[in-house]
Amino acid sequence: MRRVRTLAIATGILASLLCELRQARAAEDTVRQFIDTELKAGWQKKGITPAPRSPDAEFLRRVYLDLVGTVPTYDETVAFLSDKEPKKREKLIDKLLAEPRFARHQADVWDLVLFGRHPGNIDATRKRDGFKVWLTKQFADGVAYDQLVRELLQGEQPGSELFQVQFRNQPEEATIAVSRIFLGTQLGCAKCHDHPYDKWTQKDFYGMAGFFVRIVVEEATAGNVKTYTIAEKASGEVLFSGAAKDQQPGKKGEPVKPRFLGGTDLAEPPTPKDVKEPAPKAGTKLPKPPFSRKQKLADWVTSTDNPFFAKAVANRVWAQFMGRGIVHPIDDFQSENVPSHPALLTALAERLTAKKFDLKWLIREIVNSEAYQLAGSGAVTDALPKSFERARVRPLIAEEIVLSLRTATAFDLGSKPDEKSLNPDDYFLRHFGEPTNGQGDFQGSLSEHLFWNNAEQVRVFARRKKGNLTDQLLTSTDPWEKRVDRLFLTLLNRPAKPNEIAKFVEFLKSDPKPDARVEDAVWVLLTSSEFRFNH
Amino acid sequence: MNPICRVGEHLSRRAFLKGAAVTGSGLILPNWGGLAHAKSAAEGATKAKKRCILLWMNGGASQIDTFDMKPGRPTGGPFRPIQSKVTGLQVCEYLPKVAAVADKLAVIRSMQTHSPDHPDGIYHMHTCYKMSERTPHPELGAVIAKFNGDQASDLPTFVRMGSCGNAGSGYLGPAHEPFGLGRDGKLGSFSTPYLADDAEKKRAELFRFVESEFAADHKAEPFESHRTAKERAWRLLRAKTVFDISKEWPAAKERYGDSEFGRGCLMARKLVEAGVPFVEVGQENYDSHADNFVCHKANMQLLDPAYSGLLTDLAERGLLQDTLVVWMGEVGRTPGINNRAGRDHFIRAWTIVLAGGGVKGGQIYGSTDADGKDVKENPVSEGDLFATIYKALGINHRAKHLSGVRPVWLTPEGSQPLQELLG
Repeated sequence: MRRVRTLAIATGILASLLCELRQARAAEDTVRQFIDTELKAGWQKKGITPAPRSPDAEFLRRVYLDLVGTVPTYDETVAFLSDKEPKKREKLIDKLLAEPRFARHQADVWDLVLFGRHPGNIDATRKRDGFKVWLTKQFADGVAYDQLVRELLQGEQPGSELFQVQFRNQPEEATIAVSRIFLGTQLGCAKCHDHPYDKWTQKDFYGMAGFFVRIVVEEATAGNVKTYTIAEKASGEVLFSGAAKDQQPGKKGEPVKPRFLGGTDLAEPPTPKDVKEPAPKAGTKLPKPPFSRKQKLADWVTSTDNPFFAKAVANRVWAQFMGRGIVHPIDDFQSENVPSHPALLTALAERLTAKKFDLKWLIREIVNSEAYQLAGSGAVTDALPKSFERARVRPLIAEEIVLSLRTATAFDLGSKPDEKSLNPDDYFLRHFGEPTNGQGDFQGSLSEHLFWNNAEQVRVFARRKKGNLTDQLLTSTDPWEKRVDRLFLTLLNRPAKPNEIAKFVEFLKSDPKPDARVEDAVWVLLTSSEFRFNH
Repeated sequence: MNPICRVGEHLSRRAFLKGAAVTGSGLILPNWGGLAHAKSAAEGATKAKKRCILLWMNGGASQIDTFDMKPGRPTGGPFRPIQSKVTGLQVCEYLPKVAAVADKLAVIRSMQTHSPDHPDGIYHMHTCYKMSERTPHPELGAVIAKFNGDQASDLPTFVRMGSCGNAGSGYLGPAHEPFGLGRDGKLGSFSTPYLADDAEKKRAELFRFVESEFAADHKAEPFESHRTAKERAWRLLRAKTVFDISKEWPAAKERYGDSEFGRGCLMARKLVEAGVPFVEVGQENYDSHADNFVCHKANMQLLDPAYSGLLTDLAERGLLQDTLVVWMGEVGRTPGINNRAGRDHFIRAWTIVLAGGGVKGGQIYGSTDADGKDVKENPVSEGDLFATIYKALGINHRAKHLSGVRPVWLTPEGSQPLQELLG
């Protein structure tokens, strides 16, 4: 009897576990399905025929670049293309999401979000190796996004400080950046005048600035290494003196209370009249203030009640993979900038909140959708199609270019590169750092192409070197046709078409000493638009 | 070769037309290289939009020791004034050749600006916006490249030599970025192919094949932008003989003076003649916190032939009326002379000179008080100056762009072109 009961209980537990699992599963499926349902509804409404499903090769390259920041190797390409498993895309996604490269790449992407290519306080923020290590670890450990943002705003974890350091003594810049990046809201206009077409006033701006005005960046030097500590004073107010155009020299302004954006004034104990700030001394840290505005801000920004936070990040991650935000531009949420798919954005934000801001979960859902896996070909000319009817086309960022060049040409074969050499150097940053016009539209530039065309820094990937791709092709005894196919599979992750094979074989055979020809053929594919973009 | 190039066989016609549409000029310059190019381009250029040469006095030239002299005043310094060709305009004794072409100059003596130091002043005087705003404003050169340049040309639309601006093309994007030449006019980094000509050609042909295959079913704009820029780079490499002035130099150095700056000015003349809409030439060493007079004497001896030679050369070739020549730096210099015989930065009352491009020559705009310590009449801001420059070049100074989501204008609200200068 007892046994039966135990069994029954066990079965019951098992059943309920399975049920929960199924429910969770079903719920997860609904998000990727919901994405497709919503987009399809949009296409139907507008009479749009979407691009077909991407070929395997196209999907493979795209998802590698998006998830791990590099093109796949030849072996990875061949293995995937020849795999007959019907669920191979889903399996590949799971595999990539579990790799250390995923964390590293997300850190590259978010580093660019948090700093751009020209951060403030450039002497301190130019080299961010330590910050990158910290950021990579957050992604590797699966730290929830709200926790990540909390740490960035507080700047108290060793390694996290540089985010705040870039705004040193510039609470206005911090206000603009934090509102934009984490809240999807543009406050820049309201710095000098009330926002002309949005609801934000200068009071909102300086209310937010009040949370940053007491932050102190302390600097310590050991040898030639500078370290920074983010501290906070116990007093200090933002003084507001009206519109910029009405400013008069000597006019001092009134103190403004900190106010949460679009919300209430911060409830804080009155600052004691006789508060004496300890004078900052070299080597000593400021004591924590009895009341921390910075902490209150971090709590409010990342709170599940925050009306901006979840939507802003859901939209940002969506755009990272789908090209365009549901609200676009992604950091301009306001009444006149309506979302293209409002129900979808709401659902993504709500589910992400319910999933405790697990970005990896959201990414998995998005890249498993049919929409993400549409082909990148077709007649639509928009880089970022408005209805998501074709895969978006985005230029590789400098970090992806360097990793992809190394991977594709087997540059590091037989040797393990140190982490630093995987980062783009100044040349690559200069030529590939900012390929868009600030509206996100790609613009090819003269200097980029002079660099591609003439730089030793590029040539080094194509020139024959023991073990690299060019060397492999030259030492191979396969017929040229087979070698050309290998060339395409390695650099573009797809088989060559018959006319491509014919053309390349003719090119390679046109010189009795093929070294230079093979080098040039490699160069051609590396600098092609098929390689330059993720599509 | 056919002088009117009907789109190289490999260059998509659409890309070409698009480039032309962007400039709105409807003018497609062929120019497939060599010196033949300069002639056809010059013919085209006269029909094209106006151009601009910026002579950049890096560090900030002293107004009192050049174009706003205060002889006999405590601030006057040791240099003597000489009478120029224009009544009422005296210039420094070390600018005799400039004095002789003063009828081409419009001297603005009442600059009153807002960024007192080098990086911020350089930024401000190249963009007419404060650096601290952190909006990525484009430099003058990028704006002119966008509005008056021809993307289908073989040559870059924004060329600079020596120490120049620090803002780049900003929100206008990489298509209008500056193309740097060495001080001596030599092409910058990565402009020398490592392949021999015919290997380069073969490689390019294979590239075009790959692109045309891909383009057949990939129509997104970034792909085309990539290809178009690649073709531009190749055309530039083929046309780069235009940057070689070694043949002209022996004859020209009499006129321009045998200096790097003089060579730069000749290069600028040659490039605007070839259709480049904006060229900036920097002259160094004006930041004379000590030994101001030694510095300025030396600098003016190079400036005098180069500046006057440029104006005369442009005029003789019929290019001056369509080429605005701007002489300025990031700051002026203090009227007061410090205890190291230097002059420090000064932004309350200083001088900038315009010439050509439809600006009425032989005039002085604004004035300073007896010691040059303040503007007496008609103060001119950065925005007013830029509005004047843009107006002279046929560009709407209130043209609106977006930086991110934010609307921005070429000049700040309230900027007014100085009508008197435009004749």
